[in-house]
Amino acid sequence: MNAAVPAPAPAAQAAGDPHPVLLRIDHLHRSFGGLKVTNDVSLDLRAGMVTTLVGPNGAGKTTLFNLITGHLLPDSGDILWNGRSIVGQRHFRIARLGVARTFQDLRLFDHMTVEENVLTVMEPASWLWQPGGRAAQAARRERAHGILERTGLAAKARTRAIDLAYAERKFLSMARIMATDARIWLLDEPASGLDRGSYEHFLELLRSHVAGGVTVCIIEHNLDIVVGISDRIAFLDQGRLLADGAPDEVLKDPHLAAIYFGDQA
Amino acid sequence: MLAYLLNLATLICINAVLAITLNFIMGYAGIFSLAHAAFFGVGAYTAAYVAMHASASLFLAIPAAMLVTGLLSLVLALPALRVRGEYFVAASLGLQVLAVTVFSEWKSVTGGLGGTIGIPPADLFGHAVSDPVEFLLLALACLVPVILVTTVLLRSSFGRSLKAIRDSESAAHASGKNVAAIKTLSVVFSSSLAGIAGALYAFYMGFINVESFMLDTSVLLMAMVIIGGTGTLLGPLVGTVLLMALPGLFSYMSFLPQTEIGSIQQIAYGLAMVLLMIYRPGGIVGARSKGAA
Repeated sequence: MNAAVPAPAPAAQAAGDPHPVLLRIDHLHRSFGGLKVTNDVSLDLRAGMVTTLVGPNGAGKTTLFNLITGHLLPDSGDILWNGRSIVGQRHFRIARLGVARTFQDLRLFDHMTVEENVLTVMEPASWLWQPGGRAAQAARRERAHGILERTGLAAKARTRAIDLAYAERKFLSMARIMATDARIWLLDEPASGLDRGSYEHFLELLRSHVAGGVTVCIIEHNLDIVVGISDRIAFLDQGRLLADGAPDEVLKDPHLAAIYFGDQA
Repeated sequence: MLAYLLNLATLICINAVLAITLNFIMGYAGIFSLAHAAFFGVGAYTAAYVAMHASASLFLAIPAAMLVTGLLSLVLALPALRVRGEYFVAASLGLQVLAVTVFSEWKSVTGGLGGTIGIPPADLFGHAVSDPVEFLLLALACLVPVILVTTVLLRSSFGRSLKAIRDSESAAHASGKNVAAIKTLSVVFSSSLAGIAGALYAFYMGFINVESFMLDTSVLLMAMVIIGGTGTLLGPLVGTVLLMALPGLFSYMSFLPQTEIGSIQQIAYGLAMVLLMIYRPGGIVGARSKGAA
């Protein structure tokens, strides 16, 4: 386990590395007025691995997602996607590179049907015609149907998102990110409030996509999920990365546990 | 009576074009514009100017009206839509006020407060469309394509992107949608089509002045959309028919004091809006539940 891990040198990416760095966060800083919400954070997201961001409320976890996706600009530091800086790129361009995210408050397209929510994110263009014509459209519908089957929403395909139950809304958020074809998923508390059966279903979905090559960075408070899915855990507090390592090492650190559960650091 | 009904039907067609195009941005993209009457006016003045100084041909006047309103809306949309929605409302209100001032003061083009008089009848393949029945058919011939094009657009991926932006702009961004470009295009499309209504109005009336294009017209158009059903295909049509027909209906109610018809009409509109917002926020055609778009 490393404390306040610096960004590894490019040489560290040896040829044949089964988990090469897909996205590198390099000495990132961001302040709101005098409050440092991201303070010299460096972190690598490696292909096919699940990195969980852990930390108390206000640690800067969601801010880090906002910085990665371009919803916020860093004051200094860099974010590299496959070795190329994406800082300053507009957020829709970063999404098109293959960085997808979910939101803590879901932000579904509430007045659209479940099927439309999924189809909309699949469509490569936003104009009258899509590349590939009717054949591609039929393929997208079929794929959307498959995703809805897997997330247990097939029977609700024609229901508006706003009329779904809480757990169904969570799975629609998941279905939407599954439809993106993104290489990195940034999941902001995707399983919060789910019952045991639902979050096991969620874990199964997540594992199958990670096995298929998706890289995941997840913010999660449920320790069962953290232990059940993480390859690495990054611990943030007050904007600083305090630890980055294997789940066992990070979770057993009494100092970090004290911070996480609200005791004085 | 027939002349009254023909006049009413023609004005309904013209206002329906405006309500449908306003609904396109308001109901589907979540962009609230208070400048729709300004675009209506720009279309009307442009068509009138072209008709009086170049040709009254519809094939020249309507494209000119669409082009000028489209360009003007682009000037408004490009800066205003890159920021939050509230700024667009403020910017559109500013444009509406500015447009009224220009319509009133630019005498060489608009005729100032006196308006533009002597607009020749619309020319269609060399035939002057001046008969009320013919003009109604012409207005219908413009309304139907507007409905069709709008419906096709809304059912396409463009329409889905618009609705996605309306429901969550940040989620649309995160899905790779170029939100600013889509919103800008939707405003340009909507305003250009409002220019058609302006051209029709100028030819139909033969006289236009600033009073038809003031803020209260924008508010009336918004009321048509809201009462009919925001974000529905049929709602703006229903709202237009209702709000255009109501004044006539009131004047036929002999038990009402005829000198107070205007005030009664305003009270009825206000009451209808309040009741709708409480009991049917989706409008007459829209959904009854919280989910009304």
